[in-house]
Amino acid sequence: MICDDVKRVAYFFLDGKLGENKQNDFKTHVSICPDCEQRVSIHRRLRLFICKRLSRDSAPQRLRQRLARSFRGLTSET
Amino acid sequence: MKTAVATDHEQGWDFEKAAMPYVDSLYNTAYRMTRNSEDAEDLVQETYLKAYKYYDKFEEGTNFKAWLFKIMKNTFINNYRKKKLTPHKIDFSEIEESYERVIQKNAPDLIKDPESEIFQDMMDADVKRALDSLPHDYKMVVLLADIEGFSYKEIAEILDCPVGTVMSRLYRGRKMLERTLLEYARKYGYIRGGAEPAKMRSRKDETKGRKKKDPETGEETDVEPEADEEAILFADDEDVELEIEEEEEPEQFEIE
Repeated sequence: MICDDVKRVAYFFLDGKLGENKQNDFKTHVSICPDCEQRVSIHRRLRLFICKRLSRDSAPQRLRQRLARSFRGLTSET
Repeated sequence: MKTAVATDHEQGWDFEKAAMPYVDSLYNTAYRMTRNSEDAEDLVQETYLKAYKYYDKFEEGTNFKAWLFKIMKNTFINNYRKKKLTPHKIDFSEIEESYERVIQKNAPDLIKDPESEIFQDMMDADVKRALDSLPHDYKMVVLLADIEGFSYKEIAEILDCPVGTVMSRLYRGRKMLERTLLEYARKYGYIRGGAEPAKMRSRKDETKGRKKKDPETGEETDVEPEADEEAILFADDEDVELEIEEEEEPEQFEIE
């Protein structure tokens, strides 16, 4: 695996979606190439950051109440 | 008659119990899709009503959350088709190029302190704005994969597209998002800079200047991304696909 391959599949490596051989090739390359190691570490940290920051909007209480009313309406329709 | 009522009650209760735990996820995604809390609430409400209506069509043992998301995506498309989502025209070689530029400039600052959160001072609103700036299809795969934790196969199911398309959109969507975040971070001073630029290999020279000149008007247009190596491997739509067996769990496929 060369640096360009690492760039191409880094996200899929982080997702754990490379086949076993590719996964090992990837790890081997990264262990000897500081540039790629740096890049993968940046991808990883950005991913964690994004996940953490983007999952904060929870459904407003108003919506929950509205849904609860709908469910009550649906089940008592008959 | 009484039994029918009881069954309806039972079904309603079952459904509510099964579906309500996903209300935050659905709302969060709906909000990012519509960018408006009222529309998002309506979309979630409509999704739940449809899901309730078709609850008997849900196959036991399949992913209920993915099923709800698929209903929501279809509802969204039906409601918004008239408004017509502006088709996106993206220059992929430009994304690669500017990504390389941005990451090389900021890498030293990004790896300085691996213990702390990256850009810890960045406002949530900026992060959301960065996501919202992505074209709809790319935003969707990033949301479904990175926020909701769906597998490639589940995303393909929800969005009705091949797994290869999911991967290509993820690759590009994540890149666009990272680039935008890095640009914001520098612009608003969340990373200060000052460190020597990292010496990383660049694809810049390879991707640079992919323009063609119209012989008559002299107007320069970007060469179609098909010419790009990445575009061949991660062809955006159905024409070229990665070698993956869609019947299999995507866990073990080989790329190339």
